Amino acid sequence: MARLSRRDFLKTGAISSFTLLNGCQPLFGKAASKAHVVVVGGGFGGATAAKYIRYFDPTIRVTLIEPKAKYITCPASNWLFAGLTTLDQLSVNYQGLKNYGIEVVCDTVIQINAEQRRLTLSSQQTLNYDRLVLSPGIDFRWDSLHGFNQALSQRFPHAWQAGPQTELLNQQLQAMPNNGTVLICAPPDPYRCPPGPYERASMMAYWLKQHKPWAKIIILDPKRSFSKQALFEAGWKQHYGYGSENSLIEWISLADNQLVSLDAERKTLTTEFGDRFSGDVLNIIPPQTAGKIAIESGLSNSSGWCPIQPISAESSLLPFIHVIGDAGHYAPIPKSAFAANSEAKACALAIVSLLNQQAISSPAWMNTCYSLITPDHGISVANGYQVNADNSITAIKSAGGISQKTDPASLALEAIYTQSAYLNLRTDCFD
Amino acid sequence: MKLWLLIASFGMLSSASFNSYAELNGQNIALNCFNCHNPKPAANSAIPSLTGYSQQRLQQALLDFKYDKTNATLMPRIAKAYSDAEISAVAAYLSQQ
Repeated sequence: MARLSRRDFLKTGAISSFTLLNGCQPLFGKAASKAHVVVVGGGFGGATAAKYIRYFDPTIRVTLIEPKAKYITCPASNWLFAGLTTLDQLSVNYQGLKNYGIEVVCDTVIQINAEQRRLTLSSQQTLNYDRLVLSPGIDFRWDSLHGFNQALSQRFPHAWQAGPQTELLNQQLQAMPNNGTVLICAPPDPYRCPPGPYERASMMAYWLKQHKPWAKIIILDPKRSFSKQALFEAGWKQHYGYGSENSLIEWISLADNQLVSLDAERKTLTTEFGDRFSGDVLNIIPPQTAGKIAIESGLSNSSGWCPIQPISAESSLLPFIHVIGDAGHYAPIPKSAFAANSEAKACALAIVSLLNQQAISSPAWMNTCYSLITPDHGISVANGYQVNADNSITAIKSAGGISQKTDPASLALEAIYTQSAYLNLRTDCFD
Repeated sequence: MKLWLLIASFGMLSSASFNSYAELNGQNIALNCFNCHNPKPAANSAIPSLTGYSQQRLQQALLDFKYDKTNATLMPRIAKAYSDAEISAVAAYLSQQ
């Protein structure tokens, strides 16, 4: 019996779904389910879940709720600081998903009634669901630094959700004095995109080296170490004088002497033991939690993230709600767009199995994460992840890790792969 | 009666769709390949689409990555995560796409 091949699905989208309903047999079960899955959040996780549920079973009705008409990707947004991309080039719309027969509703969910399996949107419209996929991304904890608050993020941008914040930080970088200082306040674990602050420093340094070579970037880190540290430090040494007096980048671990307050007028940060750091540009990336709707709906625990059952991505706290992406507690899988896509596919398979009353197969997650140190110097980290009998998630031991080949040709090749991987991931999620 | 038919048809379909656990696992792993190896790759993509290759060729390529028989940056680290049987199942799934 012919089944929908991935190629056919990609080629013909909604048209093939229609054909399937009337003719061929879908991958899972007969064309009888007619269940309704609502996906909340149109980032990498939500978009992938919506698309792949339709791919696995085109008889399932899928609605995606997302307030923004276009989405600006966080991945690759650091490249803007090096002048390698624009917000326009980072933008995707939802036409690709609509072509698969996904109903895209441009609105915000204000309430989830888990008992009645019903959502209320800001327009007061209500939607019933059989299964809900929540992919709300992150929110910030604004109370971690005395003297700092949400309003001040307009002066000290986090730029950790790509868009106007990214543009604002870039404008500040370009406008600062030629010998100015940028302070990047990295967040504590766990947070979206573990190598992000360090790729950001690299991309800013790339631009500063050409335009303000007397400037300096200081990364103030609440952690003792960071993602791909050896590779970043080697790259910084090679390109930005890291470790020398005139280094463009300095990394300071404040693990035993955390930042406690901000003097907004003086643009000065103070630590527990009274050390002060002043800058011209302050990129304060606050500690993070699951997105607001997940917290308000009772899907998070004291960690601020949403516990899930790994096999199905279903919430450990509320039934029929599946949480994927940065908001979910999938540790040790890092909070990356690639991982969100991987979690979304496993979740889509599980939901389709559940709706067709079939056994759920064991998820096989993966993460690959590339970063640029210069446009021609790329590095990566990768691994596969598995669920164990005790319901824990672990990295597969025999594999993974950071780039092993660090000769110039391999690093240049990884830089090229960085850009291709970003564009292809985007296509896999949104088109 | 209706319910019975439904259950029976589910049973038949599941055995028809999935011959073995290995095949299932192959799909779950292989879905991750498309993140980078998109069937509709970006213009000038340095990462190839995997469409149009035989199971044998895909399997050999993955085994070569796993056992460091080929010069590559990222794939050896990924291929080492999977048993030879899983790699075979991944290749089988990909070759049918």
